[in-house]
Amino acid sequence: MNTYNPFNALLIFLGICLLGYLFFRPKHGWFWLIKNNSTTTQKVVAEDILKRLYHNENASNYLNINDVVRILKQDEKMVVESIDKMVTLGWVKMEGDIVRLTKSGSDYALRIIRAHRLWERYLADKTGFNKSEWHQRAERKEHELTIDDTDLLAKTLGNPQFDPHGDPIPTISGKMAKLKGVPVSELNTRTIGRIIHIKDKPDIIYKQIMAENIHIGSIIRIVEKSPERIVFHSEGEAFKLAPIVAGNITVSVLEKDVSYEEDILRLNSLKKDEIGKIIGISKEIRGESRRRLLDLGFVKGADVSIDLLNPLGEPKAYLIKGTSIALRNNQASKILIKK
Amino acid sequence: MKQKNIDNIIALSNDLRWQIGDEFHDNLAEGIYADAAEIVKGSVHKPNGNKRLRLDAKIDKVLTSKTWGFPLMFLILAVVLWLTIVGANYPSSMLGNLLLDTIHPALKGFASGIGLPWWLDGFLIDGVYLAVAWVIAVMLPPMAIFFPLFTLLEDFGYLPRVAFNLDHLFKLSGAHGKQALTMSMGFGCNAAGVVATRIIDSPRERLIAIITNNFSLCNGRWPTQILIATIFIGAVAPASMAGIASLGAVIGIAVLGICFMFLVSWALSKTVLKGEVSTFNLELPPYRPPRFWKTIYTSIIDRTLIVLWRAIVFAAPAGALIWLISNIYVGDLSLAAWLIQSLDGFGFLLGLNGVILVAYIVAIPANEIVIPTILMLTVLVTGISGGEGAGVMFELESASATGDILRAGGWTLLTAVNLMLFSLLHNPCSTTIYTIYKETKSTKWTVIASILPVILGFIVTFLVAQIWRLF
Repeated sequence: MNTYNPFNALLIFLGICLLGYLFFRPKHGWFWLIKNNSTTTQKVVAEDILKRLYHNENASNYLNINDVVRILKQDEKMVVESIDKMVTLGWVKMEGDIVRLTKSGSDYALRIIRAHRLWERYLADKTGFNKSEWHQRAERKEHELTIDDTDLLAKTLGNPQFDPHGDPIPTISGKMAKLKGVPVSELNTRTIGRIIHIKDKPDIIYKQIMAENIHIGSIIRIVEKSPERIVFHSEGEAFKLAPIVAGNITVSVLEKDVSYEEDILRLNSLKKDEIGKIIGISKEIRGESRRRLLDLGFVKGADVSIDLLNPLGEPKAYLIKGTSIALRNNQASKILIKK
Repeated sequence: MKQKNIDNIIALSNDLRWQIGDEFHDNLAEGIYADAAEIVKGSVHKPNGNKRLRLDAKIDKVLTSKTWGFPLMFLILAVVLWLTIVGANYPSSMLGNLLLDTIHPALKGFASGIGLPWWLDGFLIDGVYLAVAWVIAVMLPPMAIFFPLFTLLEDFGYLPRVAFNLDHLFKLSGAHGKQALTMSMGFGCNAAGVVATRIIDSPRERLIAIITNNFSLCNGRWPTQILIATIFIGAVAPASMAGIASLGAVIGIAVLGICFMFLVSWALSKTVLKGEVSTFNLELPPYRPPRFWKTIYTSIIDRTLIVLWRAIVFAAPAGALIWLISNIYVGDLSLAAWLIQSLDGFGFLLGLNGVILVAYIVAIPANEIVIPTILMLTVLVTGISGGEGAGVMFELESASATGDILRAGGWTLLTAVNLMLFSLLHNPCSTTIYTIYKETKSTKWTVIASILPVILGFIVTFLVAQIWRLF
C-alpha cells in the first residue's frame, strides 16, 4: 500500500484535470460540441433556413442555395436535403436557383422569430444571464418551444411588444409593430432622438456598443457628424462612434418642440455635498431590480445626495427620502438625475 | 352575432394595447410612486428636516473610514470569536463533567442494577445518550455566547456597515456584501449561517452564500483544529513558540476557508448560477441602542435552541450507529474495522487514514463528535490500552495523552495537517444539510452544497499528500 510513487499519482491527477478541461471548457469543450451536434437535427436546420430567408426577403434579398449554405455554416448535403424536404412540405418554392418562401413558410418563420424574441425578453426580465448571452441562448431555445409554450410565455410576460434589443415581437396572428427609426449614422447634427433599437448582430459591433454603456431608451443629441466619426451627447456623457458602429443604433427622431435637457447626469457622477433630483431609471434596469429601486424611493422628482463614501470606492450610500441606501456604481449609472 | 361582437372587442383591445406601447406598465408604476411621494411631501411633517442625526453621521464616518473601517472590523470579529472560544471553555467543561463524567456512569450503574442486557445498555447509554450529551456539552455554550453577541451587533446597526465596507470584495467574486455577515455567522454555526442568508434578497447571491457558508469554520470544528494544532504543529516548533505556531496554524486554516469561500463564490456565479436573477441594494439603518434583554432572549430561543434541537435529533441516531458498527461482528472483525480496512488505501492516498474517513462518515450529524469517534476507533483497531470500550466515545483530559494515542494509530505531521484541511473542507453536518434543503427547497442545490466541499477536500488533501511525499 505504501509503495506507490507520489509522482505518478500527481501525473494521473493532472491527466484527469486536463481531460476534464478538454471536455468542459467553455464553447469548445468536447462535451458541448457533442451536445450541440446531437441537437442539430433536420428540424433545427429547416427552421434556421426559414428564418434567414424571411429576414433576407424582408430586405428584398433573394438567396440561392449556395448563399443559404454559406450563411448557415452547415454541412452542404444536410442543407440541400432540408430544402428538398421543405419544398415537398410547401414551405419554400424554387424559382430557378432562388429559394423563395411560400405563405405557410413565412408564417412558420414568424413563429420562430416570435419564440426567439420572446425568449430574449424572458431572459432579460426573469433571469440573471448577461445580455451578451441572450441571443445565443435564444438561438437554441427557439427550436424547442412549441406554439403553446410560446403563447404561455407571452402571457406571463404581459404580451410584450419589443424584445430587449428593441426588435418588435410578432403576435400570434403574425402582426408586428413597425420600427419608425433612423440609424444614428444618417441623422443630421443637432437632431434629438430616443434610441429604440440596437442590432445584436454582428457580434463584434454589438459588444463594442455594450462596452460603451449605450442603452435603449436613452435620449441623444447629435453634435458632430463627419465621415470618420459621429459624436453625440447622452445622459451627461459624450460618445464618439465610427459610422459603421453608429449605423447599428436606431433612434426615433423626436419632435422639435421636445425640450432636450442637456444637463441630465447619471447618479454615479454626483459628488459629495451635491444634491440631485431624480429624472428616471434607465430601461436597462429591468424586472426585479427596477421594482426594488422604485420601492426604495428612487422615483421621479425625489432629491438624492451622497451619504457615505466607501473605503473601497463602491458601493456608495445615497441619502434618499431620509434613508441611507447603498448602490453599486453600475446601478447608479443607470439612474438619471439633474443637479 | 354575439360571438362576432366578442371577437371584435378582443381584437380592439389587442389593438389598443399595441397603441399604448410597451412602457405602459412602467409608467403606471412610476406614476403611482411619484404621486405617493407628492402626497407625503404635502401631508407629513418631519421635525428635524432631512439632516440625519449628527451622532449617527459621526459614528458612520469612523466605521466606514479608510483608516479605521477595516482594523475596527477585524478587531470586533476577533473579540467576538475570542470571547466565544475562550469563554465557552468553562461552561463546556462543566457540562462535560455533569453529562459525561457524572450522569453517564450513574446511568450505567442504574442499568446494571436493573439488569438491562449489555447490548441494550450499550446501544442506549453508550450510543444514543453519549452522542447527545457530547453534542450538548460542546455545542451549547459557544452558541449561547456567540449568537447573543452577534445579534447585539446586528441590533446596534453595525453589521450593515460591515456589509457596506466589504461589498466591493464580494462583488468581485459575484457575491453580495451581506455575505460577509452570513459568513461570520457561519463561524458560530453553519446551519445558523444558512438561515441568516435570508437577509440577502437577490436569488443568485443568496444561493452563493448558502453553498459557500460551509467554508466558515464553525464552532464544532474550532476545538478539533485547536487540539490537533496543539498536539502536532506546536510540537515541531521550538517550545517557546509552540503556542504561537499552533494558533497561527488554526487562524491560517480559517483564512484559507475565507479564500475558498471567495474562490468558490466566483466560480459558482460564473457557471451554474449565472442564470439566477441578481439584484443589489443595501439599506444602512440608523444606529440605536440595542435592546439588551430582548436580544439575548430571542437569540437564545430563535437561533441557539432551534439549531441545538436539530443537532440533537441528528446526533442520537449517529451515536447509535457508532455503537452498532463497533459492536456488530462480521467474521472476526467488527463492522467498523471492516470499514476502516477498506478505506485505509484511499485514506492513505489523501494523507489521512481509514479511521479518519470512517469517523467523518459516521459523524456527519455533528462535527463535535469527530475527535471522540477517532479516538475510540483508533483504540479499537490498534488494540492499545486506554479508552472506554468498543463503541464508547471518549476524550482525554490532556492533549499529550491524546497525541500518544493518535501517534500509536500511525499519525504523522502530514496526517495532522491534512486532518485540519479536511476538517475545513468536507461536507456540511446533517443539520446544515437539512437547513439548506429547508431554505432552498431544492434537492439540486442541497446536493451541490453537500458534495462540492468534500470533493474540494479530497483534491486539496490529495495534492498536499503527494507533494509532501515528493520531498
